[in-house]
Amino acid sequence: MGAFLYGVSLQWKLDIRSKTLLITCYIVPLLFFVIMGGIFTSVMPEARYTLIQSMTVFGVTMGALIGLPPSLVEIYSSDIKKVYKANGVPLFLGLALTNISAYIHLFLMSIILYIAAPLVFHAEIPENPGRYFISLAVFIAVSLSIASIIGLAVKDQAKTSMFSIMIFLPSTMLSGIMFPMELLPEAFETTGKLFPATWGYKLMTECVFKFESLFPFLLFFVSAVVICDILLRRIDK
Amino acid sequence: MNEAIKISRLTKSYGTHTVLKGLDFCVQQGEIFALLGINGAGKTTSLECIEGLRKYDSGSITINGIMGIQLQSASLPKYMKALEAVKLFAKWNKAPLDKAALDTLGIYEFSKKPYYQLSTGQKRRLHLALALTRNPDILFLDEPTAGLDVEGQISLHEQIRQLKAMGKTIILASHDMAEVENLCDRIGILSGGKIAFIGTVEDLCETIGKHYNITIQTENGTEKYESENIGDSLLSLLTQYREKGETITDIQIDRGSLEQHFIKIAKGA
Repeated sequence: MGAFLYGVSLQWKLDIRSKTLLITCYIVPLLFFVIMGGIFTSVMPEARYTLIQSMTVFGVTMGALIGLPPSLVEIYSSDIKKVYKANGVPLFLGLALTNISAYIHLFLMSIILYIAAPLVFHAEIPENPGRYFISLAVFIAVSLSIASIIGLAVKDQAKTSMFSIMIFLPSTMLSGIMFPMELLPEAFETTGKLFPATWGYKLMTECVFKFESLFPFLLFFVSAVVICDILLRRIDK
Repeated sequence: MNEAIKISRLTKSYGTHTVLKGLDFCVQQGEIFALLGINGAGKTTSLECIEGLRKYDSGSITINGIMGIQLQSASLPKYMKALEAVKLFAKWNKAPLDKAALDTLGIYEFSKKPYYQLSTGQKRRLHLALALTRNPDILFLDEPTAGLDVEGQISLHEQIRQLKAMGKTIILASHDMAEVENLCDRIGILSGGKIAFIGTVEDLCETIGKHYNITIQTENGTEKYESENIGDSLLSLLTQYREKGETITDIQIDRGSLEQHFIKIAKGA
């Protein structure tokens, strides 16, 4: 357990030293919040009721999909995995440590948004903070699990960025954080439901937990864990 | 002496291409053993099978002891510092940090540098330190001095000798024949998926036969000769030059190098 905790703290430090994660988990989401938060609340004053949720969905989606895969590619598509294996370090360790560290960074960024939005833009705090943070915890875990698939399946950094953006853009554009879902054409509305961001926004803005809102997360998460397991076995060969 | 590693009838194919065709050899405890072979002879495949990094088709591998592996092409996360890597691997293997070994390898000189800032020599030393974190009985070193300058090579050779003095068994893969001759107790030459020769460097020279290179320099130029009977050849050459009336300005005689013997075995089998 001591070794695992040391690994988590080390990965946390590595992520802070890496500019990629710093940019994708903190700088871009917070800049987006400052600019778009100002625009949203000026153009549509009622946006302040869901500002925390919408900015958090953007930040978590960006941090997970753009920030995590490069760290995984660095480990699993290079000689690092051979060094781990040759010296008795299990292959899943890299995946576990990068996910836990990214989880902590994304949660911290979400807390910053939660505190800053009411102060800067008079955003409405969610009615039930406990429920909100549980929803946030679920959403971050699922977003990271999807990002892990990209990081394990793709072999080089350039292709990783391409796949990450291909999932990130529709995730944010069709999730309802920019335009209400009801205003989107039916095809886009349906496509939006294929991404966790849509369900994350729905879950975090709902007043009560509904099974039908949690079920897609369960489906996404279980599928992602199974796929990651298959990809890790393939890498191990 | 006990066997640290015993390989019996090891076979490995990639599709229709058979790389190892019944490999048999042993490595004794406490010796430095070099596995040699020309490119494509199956050196890396053999080592990876023994190290457990690659599955083999048939045969058996017996390992008596804990293994430590220094890979030829190895890497670590860009921002991981040298000492952090050693600590992570030591903690994961539930092994205490061997400060004396780290000091011997000079890890403390660059312990706070991130991996991407390390020189080739520092990276080699770090990967050797990582291979030692489990306090292994058997150490695999794949091209340990590749890319190092002369000073780095001498320093690493000294460290390898110290490890042997500590009783560790060392299996070395190298292209550097001087290194092999300098460090190893025994060598095994792989050819055609099998061991074509196993023994000491002296055994190899005996197997091939006595072989001398003679270089004679005169005012008219330099001539090179090969001989298996140095006495007769030299007498005959001196007579020839005297009869021709040429003045010899220099004579050099050397035994055939390990490279020459190695190539004969590796390509001849």
